[in-house]
Amino acid sequence: MAVLNATNLHKFYQLGEFQIKALNGVDFEVEAGAFVAIMGPSGSGKSTLLHLLGGLDVATDGDVMLTGQAFSELPDHQMTLTRRRNIGFVFQFFNLLPTLTAEENIQLPILIDGGKPEVFQSRVDQLIDLVGLNDRRDHKPDQLSGGEQQRVAIARALVTQPAILLADEPTGNLDTKTGKVIMSLLRRSCDELGQTIIVVTHDPRAAAYADRVVFLRDGKEQETLKFKELKDLSERIRKIMGIMEKMEI
Amino acid sequence: MRLLIKLTLRSIQRHPARTILSMLGITIGVAGILALGITNQASMQSISALFEESSGKVDLMVTASSDNQPLSEGTIRVTENIAAVRVVLPIVKANTAFADQASGGGLELSFLGMDSGGFLLHGVNPVLEPLARDYKIVEGRFLEDPLEALEVVLVESYAQDEDIQVGDRVEVLTPNGVERLRVVGLIAREGPGQINNGAFGIVPLNTAQRMFNRLGEYDQLDLLLTESNSSQALEEVRLAIQRRLGEAVSVTYPAGQGQRMSQMLSNYQIGLNFLSGIALFVGAFLIYNAFAMTVVERTREFGMLRTIGMTRRQIILQVISEALVLGIFGSGLGVLMGILGARGLAGLVGSLLGTDLSADLVVPGGTLLLSLFVGIIVTIIGALMPSIQAGQVSPIAALRVRGRSQEGWITRSGWKFGIAGLLVSTAILLWNPFPYDPQFILGSLTVFLMFGGVTLMIPGTVSTWEKLSRPLMRLIFRNSGLIGSRNIGRSKVRTTLTIVALLIGVAMILVVRVMTASFSQDLVSWINAYIGGDIYIHSSVPLRADMANQVAGITGVGAATPIHYQNIEFMAPGGGLEPLTFMAVDPATYTRVTSFIFSDSNINAQAALAELNDGGALFISSVIAEKYNLGVGDRFWIRTNQGLQDFSIAAVVVDFFNQGLVVTGNRHDLRRFFRSNEISTILVKVDAGVPTADVIANIEQVYGKRYHLSLESNETIRGNISVLMDQAFSMFDVMAVLAVLISSLGIVNTLMMNIMERTQEIGMLRAIGMTRGQVIKMVLSEAGLMGVIGGLVGLVFGVLLAKIFLTGMTAMSGYRLDFIVPLGGVITSLVVALVISQLAAIQPARKASRTNILEAIHYE
Repeated sequence: MAVLNATNLHKFYQLGEFQIKALNGVDFEVEAGAFVAIMGPSGSGKSTLLHLLGGLDVATDGDVMLTGQAFSELPDHQMTLTRRRNIGFVFQFFNLLPTLTAEENIQLPILIDGGKPEVFQSRVDQLIDLVGLNDRRDHKPDQLSGGEQQRVAIARALVTQPAILLADEPTGNLDTKTGKVIMSLLRRSCDELGQTIIVVTHDPRAAAYADRVVFLRDGKEQETLKFKELKDLSERIRKIMGIMEKMEI
Repeated sequence: MRLLIKLTLRSIQRHPARTILSMLGITIGVAGILALGITNQASMQSISALFEESSGKVDLMVTASSDNQPLSEGTIRVTENIAAVRVVLPIVKANTAFADQASGGGLELSFLGMDSGGFLLHGVNPVLEPLARDYKIVEGRFLEDPLEALEVVLVESYAQDEDIQVGDRVEVLTPNGVERLRVVGLIAREGPGQINNGAFGIVPLNTAQRMFNRLGEYDQLDLLLTESNSSQALEEVRLAIQRRLGEAVSVTYPAGQGQRMSQMLSNYQIGLNFLSGIALFVGAFLIYNAFAMTVVERTREFGMLRTIGMTRRQIILQVISEALVLGIFGSGLGVLMGILGARGLAGLVGSLLGTDLSADLVVPGGTLLLSLFVGIIVTIIGALMPSIQAGQVSPIAALRVRGRSQEGWITRSGWKFGIAGLLVSTAILLWNPFPYDPQFILGSLTVFLMFGGVTLMIPGTVSTWEKLSRPLMRLIFRNSGLIGSRNIGRSKVRTTLTIVALLIGVAMILVVRVMTASFSQDLVSWINAYIGGDIYIHSSVPLRADMANQVAGITGVGAATPIHYQNIEFMAPGGGLEPLTFMAVDPATYTRVTSFIFSDSNINAQAALAELNDGGALFISSVIAEKYNLGVGDRFWIRTNQGLQDFSIAAVVVDFFNQGLVVTGNRHDLRRFFRSNEISTILVKVDAGVPTADVIANIEQVYGKRYHLSLESNETIRGNISVLMDQAFSMFDVMAVLAVLISSLGIVNTLMMNIMERTQEIGMLRAIGMTRGQVIKMVLSEAGLMGVIGGLVGLVFGVLLAKIFLTGMTAMSGYRLDFIVPLGGVITSLVVALVISQLAAIQPARKASRTNILEAIHYE
């Protein structure tokens, strides 16, 4: 069953006298529990697509449906609540609140939703276990490494059990080894928690963790790779790089 | 250089809102200083001009050392025979009223320099008078010979007010009844025409002496000397004349009379100056904040400029020149506002002085330049640290990382120095070891040390405050409050300065409230005793001695007691004669109408009253007791008609008449030592159950018209006094409000800066589902916490400061006031802190809530 459905998505920007077509008719569907990577060269529209899917931006044309709810019908406030409860975000720059501890940062969406963290403590504990930060839960972000901060961000994105988790270049600011840890973590979230995940990345090694890789170019879907049967990561990477070469990415 | 100017101007242009905000702080500070400067100058000038102009070309003045020892013909003869003296002008002065006037007057209350008038007649020699003073005749003519003509010259403005024309006859009240004088001329209200605010007239000398039973008596001799002398030579002549005439008279300079009045006013003005200094101090915080913000925002720009070869010095210069431009414009605007503000202030001070200052309102060049200079310097000082920070921006770091606020030892160990500074300054201020003269300056410096102490204490305690107020913030702002209030610990220096600015404003409000309450408390209890009766009777002409008995016989009057105020001199314990009021009472009837407030509540009141009744004893005011360290049983020397006379001090009482320079004696001593049997005032106690208004009507009916009585009920007088008090303190209130206003600008700036620094963070919060409303609450909670800290610390600080001010006032003036912290004041200052913090946060909060999520999450 598709949890997310985007049809005929267009996003145009006016830049002085020029109109930039960031997305030019993208159809996109994600099944529950799927792990999708979006790739493409700079300016291909991959970030724009992620923003539209996350309800952070409004499409010029077309619509996004998340669990049957069309974004175009949601006023700003409702959209905010949808993001809060149904969408998890992981950013390139971690974006943690420096005043809160790791555990408090994970509880942040619950706090924002007016909930009492105590009620959700078992969920929080489970996620801290998952991201392996049990001994670092009382540390503030400036006492954590980049990888640890990104793990906190992932736990934060998962705490509300969102319908979908969106990650924008989650390894973009990390070294290769740490990047692997982060991508494995996302993979485990998908496999163990059944979390639906969409990752935007330009890194084939990161994209290889996904079940499906969508390639964009000039605001349109160009190619799609499906790895249902293929389990070997290096093989996946090779295939992805082949397409990238073909597309001159 | 051209590049520097260009960059500076562009940067100012790019942020008009912030430029205006920072300029406003300086503008308000400068306007305050200038307005006070102009008003000070105008009022001082008005006072000294009044005395100088009204005494014209007079070189020296001879007056009696004691009120009831008039100068005699003998004194004139001796003076005339002194070689240096060219002309002697004798003057007789009389306070009176016009018969057809509704009996004016009222309670003669002197408070912070306020005084009430009456009509003053000078009897002068018409031939000699023009030698001494330039009367500007605007209509009719001046007095002519003979010396006994029934003629009067009035001041034009007064005549207009009273609708009197040249040629009219006016009826003047005298102890012998009504005397009719013909108005022969009008003089302009300038020079001598300003005497007694223009409620002034001149009659021939002999006429005055006859009308007021003063034949052969004079109040003042004005001396013109043979040659104009240097000030040193003049002083020698003055001393020579003084020696020649003996101690019974005082030989003074004409302007000397104004000195005491200036003294009273200067205390008030010193207080205002102090507050405007604080306003500027707070303004400097604002400038610091604004520039720190510029530097944070432009770190990248500075980094780029450094990369392409700009030196640190050039960067620092660029920021400083921005400050210079702001300082010049802000101060310039402040000057304009100050000139306008001076008009309002002059009205207020003028009403306190009972004179119109608007004519004297010139902008003194020195003060103008000074306030411009101070404004610019303060701006540059405020911008100095941020500019140095800007200079320290490294080329590479700036291109990658956002600026960080400087936090170092101030945050870590500043609080230790803060506590030390606070304790030391408080101890110094309460102990008050300073000698009398530099007391105010040294005291003020110590108060600033206290400010410094409090400032240093804040950064180290911010986190504790945050933890303590977490439940409150959660209660008000829900979970957004929990997230928002944590932010307060992030830029501690910036937050601290904002809190300190706010707490100073709050403390000022509280100080003013405490002072007002403490003053009111003592004033009210004194007024209750002083006008202890129900009705206060007063007349514009001297009352007969038996008047009190007659009033006592009127229906509804329970008791009546006569009081007379005699201006005398006493021998101050430090040596030298000083002016004083001798309040002569009749202890037997006095205690039936009202009571004394004894400073020592354990005193044997009966014994003290008996001692007063027996004569040769006095009650001294607490002001005198404090000032000269006198107590019960000590001796007190008064100059009387029989020479210096010592009295024993029977009690110390609370009495603020004549600024507390008053002693109470009995009427028998008044007759014996001052040969006076007059009454200034009668206090009346109304029979129980009889309405005061009825009794006033009864007295009016029987004696009112005949004796030109003015009757006022206790309530009316108390009402008037509270109005006077409010007026006197309203200026302090205004300054405190200004300090709060400036600090609110600081809050706006700090929050704007915080929000700007946290754009990405706010974008993330919005992305993960924080609503706009929650963002607003988050920012409001941050400001609210600043308000809580500023309010509470300001409260404690304000109470401490008020205690110190009251102690200082006691030491300087002798007023001893009970220390009262009014609940209303406490609540007001807390509410002001919270409300101001919230109001100031509205705009930054709205701005934060409108953060564009996409731009923010890619913002670096």
